[in-house]
Amino acid sequence: MTRRAFYLPALVVLALLAAAPFFAASFTITLLNYIGIYALVALGVVILTGFGGLTSFGQAAFVGIAAYATAWLTTTQGASPWLGLIFGLALTVAVAAFLGAVTLRLGGHFLPLGTIAWGLSIFFLFGNLDALGRHNGISGMPPIFIGSISLEPTTAIYYLIWGVLAAATIVIANLLESREGRAIRSLRGGVVMVESLGISVFRIRLITFVIAAILAGFSGWLYAHMNRFVSPTPFDLRMGIQYLFMAILGGSGHILGAVVGAALITLLQNALQDVLPHFARNGEQLEVIVFAVIYVLALQFARGGVMPFALRFLPHRAWSSAIVPAAPLPRRTMPASGTPLLTVERLFKRFGGLEAVNQVGFAVNAGEIVGLIGPNGAGKSTVFNLITGVLPSDDGRIVFLGQDITRAGQRRIAEAGIARTFQHVKLRPSMSLIDNVLLGTYVRTRSGFIRGALRLDRAEEARARHEARRQLKRVGIDANPHDLAGNLPLGRQRILEVARALAADPALIILDEPAAGLSRPEKTVLADLLRSLRREGVTVLLVEHDVEFVMGLVDRIVVMDFGAKLVEGTPVAVRADPRVQEAYLGSVA
Amino acid sequence: MTPLLEIENLHVAYGKVEAVRGVSLRMLPGQIVTVIGPNGAGKTTLLAAAAGLLRSRGKVIYDGLNLERLDVEERVERGFCLVPERRELFGDMAVADNLLLGAYTRRRNGADVKQSLQQVFSRFPRLAERRRQKAQTLSGGERQMLALGRALMAKPRLLLLDEPSLGLAPIMVREIFRIVASLRDLGVSILLVEQNARAALETADYGYVLEMGAITHEGPAATLAHDPRVVVTYLGGSI
Repeated sequence: MTRRAFYLPALVVLALLAAAPFFAASFTITLLNYIGIYALVALGVVILTGFGGLTSFGQAAFVGIAAYATAWLTTTQGASPWLGLIFGLALTVAVAAFLGAVTLRLGGHFLPLGTIAWGLSIFFLFGNLDALGRHNGISGMPPIFIGSISLEPTTAIYYLIWGVLAAATIVIANLLESREGRAIRSLRGGVVMVESLGISVFRIRLITFVIAAILAGFSGWLYAHMNRFVSPTPFDLRMGIQYLFMAILGGSGHILGAVVGAALITLLQNALQDVLPHFARNGEQLEVIVFAVIYVLALQFARGGVMPFALRFLPHRAWSSAIVPAAPLPRRTMPASGTPLLTVERLFKRFGGLEAVNQVGFAVNAGEIVGLIGPNGAGKSTVFNLITGVLPSDDGRIVFLGQDITRAGQRRIAEAGIARTFQHVKLRPSMSLIDNVLLGTYVRTRSGFIRGALRLDRAEEARARHEARRQLKRVGIDANPHDLAGNLPLGRQRILEVARALAADPALIILDEPAAGLSRPEKTVLADLLRSLRREGVTVLLVEHDVEFVMGLVDRIVVMDFGAKLVEGTPVAVRADPRVQEAYLGSVA
Repeated sequence: MTPLLEIENLHVAYGKVEAVRGVSLRMLPGQIVTVIGPNGAGKTTLLAAAAGLLRSRGKVIYDGLNLERLDVEERVERGFCLVPERRELFGDMAVADNLLLGAYTRRRNGADVKQSLQQVFSRFPRLAERRRQKAQTLSGGERQMLALGRALMAKPRLLLLDEPSLGLAPIMVREIFRIVASLRDLGVSILLVEQNARAALETADYGYVLEMGAITHEGPAATLAHDPRVVVTYLGGSI
């Protein structure tokens, strides 16, 4: 949604919402209150599922925790609802952090399953604790006061609900356009690339999960003091599923999808409750069936939800193509040319019975371009994966800038100054070119979640954007930086990966077949770029099959065959070596 | 001779951007025809549209049949197969199962499929060695062989190859082009898209140059290989 201008339609909608209590019936305001309360939870689902790729069925239980917490505190202890808010949020955060810490490392289906179990158990907990009134619930909570103004009337709490929702929407929108927000958006689709950029996938997932729970907590607090009554049913698993569908129906790829989805489902439910009793005695059961049909149809024909359709009728946001001047990001001091940079000793890796890498050793000095060549399946990409920590080695040692990184793991290796590209391109096709490159600057920038959400990161963000544009320009694909990366032809996607790697300001850049799929003129441009990097003191290690490209560019070549090092030497010596001709080049060299 | 494939005035658009603008080309049975051109010229789009994976305007006539109403599956059943640039293998499935899926349209004829499998294995001994391995554990070059092998399992009459030499060692590149040439001898026609223009023109009978979505040059491959403009831009020589 941040990609488009909503100004005119948004202003009209906002004005109508602000004036609603003055012209709408009180029942309409009550409906709007429910929509706002549900939309807050659905907003959490949007950021969690739509952007972060994590599925939770347990959001209703987080709503319940906060609602029951404030209900208990205000009725039995006589505390102010504002204390109830703090208590409820603290409890929600604690539970979410614990649940997340247990399930998020596991990946796969464990989070959805964990949240189902959690949603079921909290419902029974509420229903069976005497202190929480068992299935009768708790009633008689005080209304919220702001100063001396009571928010007891429906029209008064309406402003608080929609105010909170508006603030949350703005904060989340800011966050998604910040450093950590890009990390959240990069979670969908494979974690290897994300970790290779120095991003802790676990940390980002955990914080995203907690953010979604906090939004649910606010919703629970508002619910408790609006209804002034809580019971287990509104927080059961069925509601948890409903929140997920609100986000999906509205459009989980868009922040406003949460509001749209909450509104659609609430209004539909209301309409069905009016209509269905005319057709059947068990209106409630029929309602479930009607919703099931709607869900199936939506999943079949409109996976993206309503928002993508709505956006077609709104004007596109115009992006300025000018590079906004900003101070460059700080750069690392490059090691002196010729000093040892990377040493690989007796590296060993076995896959089942296959010795993929067998006692391979070589050294790379600062300011060199070294080529790693060999037949397909020789183990070149595996060596790259061992150096960058994607795979753990079975034996051997890897030293980078005097530091043993053999067991360091991808993230620390990235922080140490190694950036890489992948043989099978790993980009986020639904993110723009510039956002993909900005991911590369993650290790060089510091702004956290709170700075991003409150837009305190703008100075650093401007510098990072400037750097990303500079790298796009440098590799020659800066014509349309706001296009989606997935629309580039495959060869240019590889070049985009190079720009992303450069944005990390690495001391060593590892390129896995950067010239594959490039035309001849494009290869010349790439070779010139790599030479200019060498002049700047950046060291390059690359796998490439285009012999002319490699031979004309590199200082030294390491040849691998069947997992072992075959030869090492200058391009001329390697090309003349009969073993290389036989294993790799073929008879004519 | 009637052409096996005739593309007439084909247009493909992504939203408002036209990636292929009025391309016409034809190929005779048993011919290898290559399309060369820079990145972003629309080569991959052209193949995907011909195979029915993208919506297009214009005519695609295959073996005298207008393909307009035929979906991808029906085209494959008639021997019209695409080997995509990204290979699109089933990573979690064994090599042999990936190959058998290639013969899905012929699944009722077990003995015949088995024979094709043996032929593919004898053509690519590397795949035979790894037949039980999951496809995602293969190296880049082996994946290439698997993608080509899987297409051969459908007993194609026309193969659309998108960058078959991508990511292959020089010795394998020669092998792949040797295989491509040998497929022609079996009567398979091949439409070949390649960045390795030199090898492509050496193997092909006829060539087209695609630039900015339109054909700018065409001719017998041997003639194109000596066309000064093609030499300078795509073969890296000087005049």
